[in-house]
Amino acid sequence: MIRFENIGLRYGLGPEVLRDVDFHLVPGSFHFLTGPSGAGKTSLLRMLFMSLRPSRGLIHLFGQNCSDLSSPARADLRRRIGIVFQDFRLLDHLTTWENVALPLRVFGKSEASYRDDVTDLLKWVGLGARMTAYPEVLSGGEKQRAAIARAVIGKPELLLADEPTGNVDPAMANRLLRLFIELNRLGTSVIIATHDFQLMDQCDAPRLVLHEGHLEIR
Amino acid sequence: MKVTWKFDDLPGRLAGRIRTSPWVAVVRGLAGGQTGPGSTPIVQPASVAGRALTVVIAIMTFLACLTSGAVYVVNQSANDWFADIASEITVQVSEGQGSEFEKKVTLVSLFLAKQPGIQKVNPLSAEESGQLLEPWLGGSDVLSELPVPRLIAVVIDRSSPPDLDAVREALESNFKGVTLDDHRRWQAELRTVTRSLVLGGIAVLMLVGAATVASIVSATKSAMASNREIIEVLHFVGARERFIAHEFEKHFLNIGVRAGLVGALGATIVFLLLPVTMRLLSGRGLAAAELRQFIGSAVLDWPGYLLFGLVVIVVATLCMLTSRFGVYRILKSYD
Ligand SMILES: Nc1ncnc2c1ncn2[C@@H]1O[C@H](COP(=O)(O)OP(=O)(O)OP(=O)(O)O)[C@@H](O)[C@H]1O
Ligand SMILES: [Mg+2]
Repeated sequence: MIRFENIGLRYGLGPEVLRDVDFHLVPGSFHFLTGPSGAGKTSLLRMLFMSLRPSRGLIHLFGQNCSDLSSPARADLRRRIGIVFQDFRLLDHLTTWENVALPLRVFGKSEASYRDDVTDLLKWVGLGARMTAYPEVLSGGEKQRAAIARAVIGKPELLLADEPTGNVDPAMANRLLRLFIELNRLGTSVIIATHDFQLMDQCDAPRLVLHEGHLEIR
Repeated sequence: MKVTWKFDDLPGRLAGRIRTSPWVAVVRGLAGGQTGPGSTPIVQPASVAGRALTVVIAIMTFLACLTSGAVYVVNQSANDWFADIASEITVQVSEGQGSEFEKKVTLVSLFLAKQPGIQKVNPLSAEESGQLLEPWLGGSDVLSELPVPRLIAVVIDRSSPPDLDAVREALESNFKGVTLDDHRRWQAELRTVTRSLVLGGIAVLMLVGAATVASIVSATKSAMASNREIIEVLHFVGARERFIAHEFEKHFLNIGVRAGLVGALGATIVFLLLPVTMRLLSGRGLAAAELRQFIGSAVLDWPGYLLFGLVVIVVATLCMLTSRFGVYRILKSYD
């Protein structure tokens, strides 16, 4: 499902952020991605999401070599991936509900076909009362939950989450983790980047640990 | 690689292209119809940069319409005038006295009327000829003592004009002191003047056009910059380039058409009011008459207003294309 072969990454002429990263994840797996701040977690997720090209090495996603895909083909692959950004990236002129529904709208589905799904999901993440609010007035945790809801609404085959629990209290963090586990049970592969050990201890999942540019699976 | 063309579905594909064309969406929106799913547009409808763009487009369209309208009017009235002048020639009878002279004028007129290609012959009376000279020579006391030449106005059939050189020769050999003036020199001079006026107008039009293009492109670009976030997010949730470009084309075409229409409407009002103001400002004086003579009645006919429509279409298309290129340029940086 995901295969990294000898991936190296550097920004511009800077030092190599990642070196000889080599791993293989099977469909339906659940992983934490961890490491100190600045270790390259976000960079690794961006490469998985094809918004960053590695300086060297090969990335295979869903059995396809990412480096020689056309732009529409990349867009199609992205539709199979949900991503939660560290900085949320919600659109300020759309309501919470519209933000969460955006992927389905982009896929060309009719609003009637997803209206209830979006509402249900928002209720599930505790935003039932904030559906018509604009991101500006949401708290950090509320934005985070909206971003998560947007990432999972399209039932992606792969979910990437960058610090998805960084802004919420432990109770809500647990609730969100359960959402991810539930999704994983339904067949979605999940990678959660975090340095929240409390969260990682909640479930017995393998950890991808980044340290000085190298990746280890523990 | 073998390329196969499928023509069987061409009408269908064409219809699809037309249905999804941003123009259709915009026209439907202007007509008050539904523009799409009932939720908020994906591209932010009113941003500060968007409003600035609206103002720039309206003003530039207004200026472009004014310039093209003015050039059109001058060109048009110059053409009309030439057509008038070219269909008239003057024959001057200058030697002779008393009844002899009157007879000569009548004979020449009859001779002229017989020539093929001549529609109307109108010999001016002594009084009429005198009146023409009044502005230069003053009162009629002087005139009555001077041997004033007589003029015969001749209207020629422009569809089959006479051979003027042959007519002139015939006149000169049959009568003494008769000259034919086909206004050629006068016409040539005038033509140079109006032509340089029109050429100057076209040069100004080109400058205004260039300024319009430059300002609309740069205003659209800056409006696009504020939309970078939206492009990014759409890209990340799996939107194809075509989809994103289409959303932005629709949005910017909409701005372009609306603001362009406002500018063109302004120019239309100016041209509708122009004849009235000209009459109010200059009264019925000689200057007004001359001015009117020169720039015509300053009335724009319907092809002139059509020109405004063309300006709006060009401006809106420009706006749309700039936004499309903007989208592709921003998306390029993610690949
Ligand atoms: N666009 C960029 N240009 C240059 N350097 C960058 C860029 N993005 C990240 N880096 C550098 O790459 C390294 C890894 O960054 P990255 O954001 O992947 O770390 P991270 O593990 O996600 O950190 P955190 O836990 O703080 O989010 C850092 O040293 C960072 O300074
Ligand atoms: Mg990070």
